[in-house]
Amino acid sequence: MKKIKAITGTKWFSSFLWIVLLIIAWEVGAMVVAATKRTPENILPHLYQIIAAAFSGKKVTGDMTAVQAVLSSAGLTLIRALLGFIIGAVIGFLFALLMKMSGMVEKILFPYLMLIQLIPVLGIAPIILAITGDINISRVIIAAILSFYPVAANTLAGFKSVEQEKYDLMFIYAAKRRSLYTKVLIPASLPYLFTGFKIAAPMAVTASILVDTLQGDGGLGCLLSQSLKHAMSIHVFWLIVFFSAFLGIVISKVIGLIEVGIAPWRRRV
Amino acid sequence: MKKRLKRLVCAVTVASLAMSMLTACGGGGGTSQSSTAQTTQAADLKAEDIIKKAAEQGKVGNWGLGNEYEVLALLAKYNLPTKYLSQDFTMDGFDDDSILLASAMTYNELGLVKNDYDGGYKYGDKVKYIDMNDEGVAMMEDNIFTTKKFAKENPETTAAFLYASLKGWEYAVAHPDEAAEIVYKAGSSVSPDHQKYMASEVAKLVSTNTKGEKVTDIGNMDDSAMQQTLDIAKKYVTLDDATANTKFKALTLDDIRDKTFITKAKASDGKFNIEKKSVKIQLKWLPQAQFMGYFVAVEKGYYKEVGFDNVEIVSGGGDIAETTAVNNGTVDFGVTWETNLASADASGMDLVEIAQIYQRSGLVLVYKPEKFS
Amino acid sequence: MEREVRLQKIGRRKTLRQRAKENRKWQKASTIVLPVILGVILVGLWQGQVLHGWFHTDTFTLPLLDKIGGIMFDIKDKILINTLSTVSVAFIGLLVGSLLGYLVAVLAAMFPKIGMGGLSVIGAFASIPVVALAPVLNNWTKDVSSQASIRSMVSKIIVVTLICAADMGLNAYRGLTEIKPFSEDLMAIYAAPKRTVLWKLRLPNSLPYVFTALKVSVPASIMTAIVSEYFAEYITGVGRQIRENIVLAQYSTAWAYIATACLIGVISYVILMALQSILLRRYH
Repeated sequence: MKKIKAITGTKWFSSFLWIVLLIIAWEVGAMVVAATKRTPENILPHLYQIIAAAFSGKKVTGDMTAVQAVLSSAGLTLIRALLGFIIGAVIGFLFALLMKMSGMVEKILFPYLMLIQLIPVLGIAPIILAITGDINISRVIIAAILSFYPVAANTLAGFKSVEQEKYDLMFIYAAKRRSLYTKVLIPASLPYLFTGFKIAAPMAVTASILVDTLQGDGGLGCLLSQSLKHAMSIHVFWLIVFFSAFLGIVISKVIGLIEVGIAPWRRRV
Repeated sequence: MKKRLKRLVCAVTVASLAMSMLTACGGGGGTSQSSTAQTTQAADLKAEDIIKKAAEQGKVGNWGLGNEYEVLALLAKYNLPTKYLSQDFTMDGFDDDSILLASAMTYNELGLVKNDYDGGYKYGDKVKYIDMNDEGVAMMEDNIFTTKKFAKENPETTAAFLYASLKGWEYAVAHPDEAAEIVYKAGSSVSPDHQKYMASEVAKLVSTNTKGEKVTDIGNMDDSAMQQTLDIAKKYVTLDDATANTKFKALTLDDIRDKTFITKAKASDGKFNIEKKSVKIQLKWLPQAQFMGYFVAVEKGYYKEVGFDNVEIVSGGGDIAETTAVNNGTVDFGVTWETNLASADASGMDLVEIAQIYQRSGLVLVYKPEKFS
Repeated sequence: MEREVRLQKIGRRKTLRQRAKENRKWQKASTIVLPVILGVILVGLWQGQVLHGWFHTDTFTLPLLDKIGGIMFDIKDKILINTLSTVSVAFIGLLVGSLLGYLVAVLAAMFPKIGMGGLSVIGAFASIPVVALAPVLNNWTKDVSSQASIRSMVSKIIVVTLICAADMGLNAYRGLTEIKPFSEDLMAIYAAPKRTVLWKLRLPNSLPYVFTALKVSVPASIMTAIVSEYFAEYITGVGRQIRENIVLAQYSTAWAYIATACLIGVISYVILMALQSILLRRYH
């Protein structure tokens, strides 16, 4: 009895419970769909069908099986997303710092940062393509633009979360402006920065997949639109859906781990 | 107290999840039986009746995005309201009867509906279709185009590119199975079976005109077919930009096509003095047998023969339209449809068609006869 | 530069509040005046085609502002219809999603054992790219209504809901749990039941976090609505119009809709800010 309690008490168990619930719900849905629809695999295939498709050795493109195709295009997409994310995050952090340093800069820029976020990707894509002349560079830039705002906004919120008492203390120490930033403001902003990362990273991946569909030339988004168009087995589409969800989870977990690695306040918990 | 609450929460979440799945997926039982029940078929349904019946229910489908004008013209021909449902690049809507008269390209969606390979809907000959060519509303599709500026500055390159591409197309039309193989090997992710089907259908579009006559002169820009396209386009395309719209309505064939390069290519002995040795061509859609001529020309070395160092085929299928890519110089040549080119020119682009690869419309409206008897 | 430094120094002195009070008018005015000045400069650069030079682009891809404005005026009825469709999808999705996300966060805060898992599941949903979610939900909502306009709207709303729920869930959970230790101790001393802690401490404490979440999810809901329109069955909405026009190379018209999308975003953000200042003031 105690053992059972120990197992049910762990954090993993609750995630596990939810996953089981979802699987049951999915399978019930799949059974209903299978009974009522002519092509159930387009709407809600059984999970085992998707898994079977993942492990089948049947080639879906010239020389690749379903999993190989998904993985190789995911590689392309991820590299672009990662590059875009890093660029966006660095610029976002710098902008937040700049806005913190000068209230005037914040007032001038912040509304426009919002605006950039709001311009639909498709609208800016042709212009960025015209500027860079290379679709892959455009993809990286768009991923950067989309991951930029969450990082900037969250970091700025982090800077602002510092209480007046801490400023006062630093003032009493006659601390230099530099040390105010390195000792107080930046450490205080780190948890917020990571929140920003957690929002921005999946966004960069989503953006990267979305921008893949802008022009051909490889990537998860291309494969997605191809399989969605029934150019190949529809199970490839489901593989991509699951794989991208999996990617999203892994990415936020990885960021969580990095956070624990470099941020002491998380280790206590 | 605590335990009970916990249990309650659990129960509620499970129930709501199950309910949401059921509501999302259930309720389709009523419509699905009919597909298996079809045994008798009305001998010959008239196209007009079918179109009228589907239009009355508002169940005519098309993808939009510039593909819809033939359908609009067809609806207008029978005095029906020019409205259609948006099809989402799959035939699921047709499959579940939310679309009764669905748009399909002969070489792609029609094959998926009929055939039973991966991705197919396995209807076989149980479905019939209405051909836009027969209805007199055909519009010209896949062509080769470039910018007027590029053509003027690189006349030899343009002619050489046409020469080699047309040679590729000739070979592909004569050997569709081999062409399909070449496209598949070049990295298309369309299944080999579907690729073969597509190649054979595309070959028909390239070598037959709108009247069903054989065409030997591949790439020919037939004046009457192109004029018909432009006329229909002018009637049914309304550009929101008033200046562009006025310009569009005033366009003539001579504004959007130039025959000098194809004449030059046809008269040539295959020797060119190429200005630009490395060029790119932007496809309108994903790499597939729809564009087999270019893949064949690369594979067989036709481009090298006329003096190109490298010809890169850039896959499309996205939202950066081929017209944009050619206009801003990212690529040199492109494949698009006449209407797209005309509307792009009207709004300020500088594009010109240099060859018309498809000689007839590939668009059909597919239907299940039992729904109309 | 000099002014920037001075402002910063003021910020570090204790006299900040006094100074701010004295300068309140300027402070208030500057939040509006400064961005407007930048805006005017940008407009000038754009209209004067200086931007085109920087970006190596032409007035075709980046049309002049008067042209965009002219088109917006010409087709204002059409724009209005599409705007309504997009805004209703985004707003309903935002509302339902935020409520759902908050509910899960409350559950997670009260019953960490079960709730935490729910939170990560919702987070996982948000990680599925919209491009993959939208077509799936299109298929799942086929039986919701025989009207394509209604079912395609429902499917778009569900996509927005999932995205907003995740954002709200994660943020609200932090707001509900990251409480100043002394107030938790105080509640413990009072022997306050869980419900009271929730009502009196956790919920009020989460309010600023709710707004942090909204600041991300308001623009995200509009973006998501726009992207899911690309895949929707029924042709309507600002996003769909952008796509249709770009494919037809009608950049001026596409820009008119892009400008509309930005306007929607800005207006909703302003409303959010106003709400925040009203609601948060009441709590402090």
